Amino acid sequence: MKKSIPVARRALLAGAAAALALPAPALAQARARASVGVLRLSSSGPVFIAHERGYFREAGLDVELKFFTAAQQVPVAVTSNDADFGVTGLTAAFFNLAGRGALKIVAAQSREEPGYNLVAYMVTNAAHERGFRSLRDFAGKRVGITTTGSTFHYSLGLLARKQGFDLASVTLVPLQTLPNMQAAFRGGQVDAILAPVTLARALEADGSGRVLGWVGDETPWQLGALFTSPRAIERNRATVERFVRGYVRGAADFHAAFNARDRGRPVQGPAYRENLEIVARAVQQTPELVSVGLPYVDPEGRLDVGDIHNQIAFWQSLNLVGREVSGREIVDLSFVRGHTNVPRG
Amino acid sequence: MSDSPIRFRGGGFAPRPKRGAAVIAFAAALGLWAAAGRFGWVSPIFLPPPDAVAAAFWDLARGGLLWRHIGESLYRIVWGWGLGTFLGLAAGFAMGIWSYSRAIGVPFVSALFPIPKISLLPLLILWLGIGEASKVATIALGVFFPTAIATYAAIDAVPRNLIRMGQSFDLPPHAVLRKIVLPGALPGILAGFRITASIALILLVSAEMIGAEYGIGAFILQAGNLMLTDQLLAGVAMLSALGLAIGTGLTRLEKYLLRWR
Amino acid sequence: MELRCEGISHRYGDVAALDGIDLAVRAGECLALIGPSGCGKSTLLGIMGGILAPSAGRVRASGAAPAGCLNPVTYVFQDFALLPWRTVEANVALPLEHHGLDAADRKARIDAALARTGLGEFRAAFPKQLSGGMRQRVGIARALAVSPAILLMDEPLSALDAQTRDLLMEDFLALWLGARTTSVYVTHNLGEALRLADRICVLSRRPGRIKEIVAVERPQATRAAPEAAREMAELHERLWRLIKDEASAADREIADVR
Repeated sequence: MKKSIPVARRALLAGAAAALALPAPALAQARARASVGVLRLSSSGPVFIAHERGYFREAGLDVELKFFTAAQQVPVAVTSNDADFGVTGLTAAFFNLAGRGALKIVAAQSREEPGYNLVAYMVTNAAHERGFRSLRDFAGKRVGITTTGSTFHYSLGLLARKQGFDLASVTLVPLQTLPNMQAAFRGGQVDAILAPVTLARALEADGSGRVLGWVGDETPWQLGALFTSPRAIERNRATVERFVRGYVRGAADFHAAFNARDRGRPVQGPAYRENLEIVARAVQQTPELVSVGLPYVDPEGRLDVGDIHNQIAFWQSLNLVGREVSGREIVDLSFVRGHTNVPRG
Repeated sequence: MSDSPIRFRGGGFAPRPKRGAAVIAFAAALGLWAAAGRFGWVSPIFLPPPDAVAAAFWDLARGGLLWRHIGESLYRIVWGWGLGTFLGLAAGFAMGIWSYSRAIGVPFVSALFPIPKISLLPLLILWLGIGEASKVATIALGVFFPTAIATYAAIDAVPRNLIRMGQSFDLPPHAVLRKIVLPGALPGILAGFRITASIALILLVSAEMIGAEYGIGAFILQAGNLMLTDQLLAGVAMLSALGLAIGTGLTRLEKYLLRWR
Repeated sequence: MELRCEGISHRYGDVAALDGIDLAVRAGECLALIGPSGCGKSTLLGIMGGILAPSAGRVRASGAAPAGCLNPVTYVFQDFALLPWRTVEANVALPLEHHGLDAADRKARIDAALARTGLGEFRAAFPKQLSGGMRQRVGIARALAVSPAILLMDEPLSALDAQTRDLLMEDFLALWLGARTTSVYVTHNLGEALRLADRICVLSRRPGRIKEIVAVERPQATRAAPEAAREMAELHERLWRLIKDEASAADREIADVR
């Protein structure tokens, strides 16, 4: 957590601002600084929108975006104080770090919801011909995932529970990278994979296999979260509050622009184009490509708290997350009102 | 000049074996590591203390998975290293002996050697699937090129006059090869083994990125993916113990085969 | 056996090393080849031994090889050319291994060669453990083991220190006098040539041509005697005059010939 600006420096800034005749708010509210670790993915859209549209500034924060290339790096960066906040998908690795008192979830990022195509269950043509036709046929098959403990792994666990097959009867093949997964799928080395929308569309287009269904349609869950360190909450609660305020405004814009549906079909919401371009610039993709994989984001940053507890229990049942990790300890519900599905007791 | 003793100016620059020094240094490093955790100099999140690593290792051993991990990795290392070494020796000998195979082989080897084998994983998966073949091939590829280079360099280093000597006694070409070139190149080839054995261990982790369920590399990868740093270090310790064992074995082999030196 | 060089020329790239050498080595004689450094005397020896292909000309051998000869034209190398990973015994055995000899015959040859060179007690040693003189004895023993018809010796003593050289020369002379194997002895040391050779062939500097062939009439056995001193000194003087100017000019050249 960056400290608030020392008094002497603040005075100097104020003097400089006065000399330059800056607008009044800059004088009235000397801004604190904070950094946030993000991936170049559209699920971090609320952060990009809040940053670009000045919502953080208006909440009294100068926010620096720190880009990372893998989901695991973000919680590690927050743990090591390289970033004050982080926004990414929830993985077993995240819970292992959080469980050691290094991280606290404060608001929601994206989540899987029916009608939002983020991650597909795909089968190869050969597997399809052999009768792998529906989600109930997973038992006894070889399924490629990126890594053990990934969001894909959890999705499959949810699916197993919903469809009533034993996850242990599925051979999970961790292939570490998307290119490896793609190659194994194309070569028919696995029967099925869980693929992000862009990969799924590409594999479908070149005829390597077909999409059986989408995770969000089958098993909605809390995919990602905004988190910070417990130390930051303790010492600098105001900064966290300001950040969450700005972030939630970004989430509201994101939700309004991208998440509207009319009888299940996407509808362009207010400022759709502008927000799409903000996100596209940040993820360094064309707006057309980005528009295909926009996730559901809660407009108020509310978490599906019960699902987070569920995720922890799932990883613990596989011995991938330590027994001592507790959902109650790693989520701070006080920054956003109206979290859903909060366990009682 | 006044009468003064000649000051000794020689000495140094001649490392001698110091028994036990490595053990003491290793123990000191371990102690420092333990102290760093115990006295809170470093958070256990960043560096799990040695006892946590030992506990992770013990869990693995008690669960019976330890031998499975080591066994599967050894299988891949033995086959991958063996195959890469066999083919590398063949290519290296060809390049060391025949002008044409050298003219063709050297640019090929120079062009392909520096390719990070990890970047070829998707291709290897397409060609060989995600079974043992692609894992063995990953290691074999990594071992092949340095072996080929070490072998032909070692053959170049065999004194030509020894070969001429053999020819002056009308030794048939195969005898020149077997009795002069091969033993003459052996020191260089064995030095190459030292390097390729390390490369095989390094590539084990890459190879086990290809859908491996068991294996030291797979274990390390999974621990890293799960941020279980104590397990990660336990896996790394296994890898380095394996490396140490292989290195010691090679030293013994060298001592035996090169006892004439 | 005897050996005839007919019109031997040799070039290394642009550099002419030998030019039109016609030379006959007579059966049972020891012919020394001397000349300034770089005159091509080792090249000529290599061509005689069939391990270098001449640019022009040919080498012919004629006459019957002695009984039991396995390798008619046999080399003794300046730097010994011992296999460091083989023991003394195994080094001597090397040229015998591909002749299908039975074990007893092989052992007899090795034992005889080691005995003649005084290496009996060193048979299990590796070359690294031996002095330079001992190593060259192994080189000689290896050559003797194949019962050669012609011995080609390429400065066999030049890698040794002066005292060892003298000792080995006397031993070698005794060996040679006992067998009188046709020999060519390349050296830059006039004393060695005068001690050992029946005839001394003086080569000019590069490109090597035969400048003169000097016969040494006095038998080897009496050349070291005090009454021979004057005669040998005169011969030495004569040879030195033949090569002095050449040697001095050769010394000033940039050595680009092997």
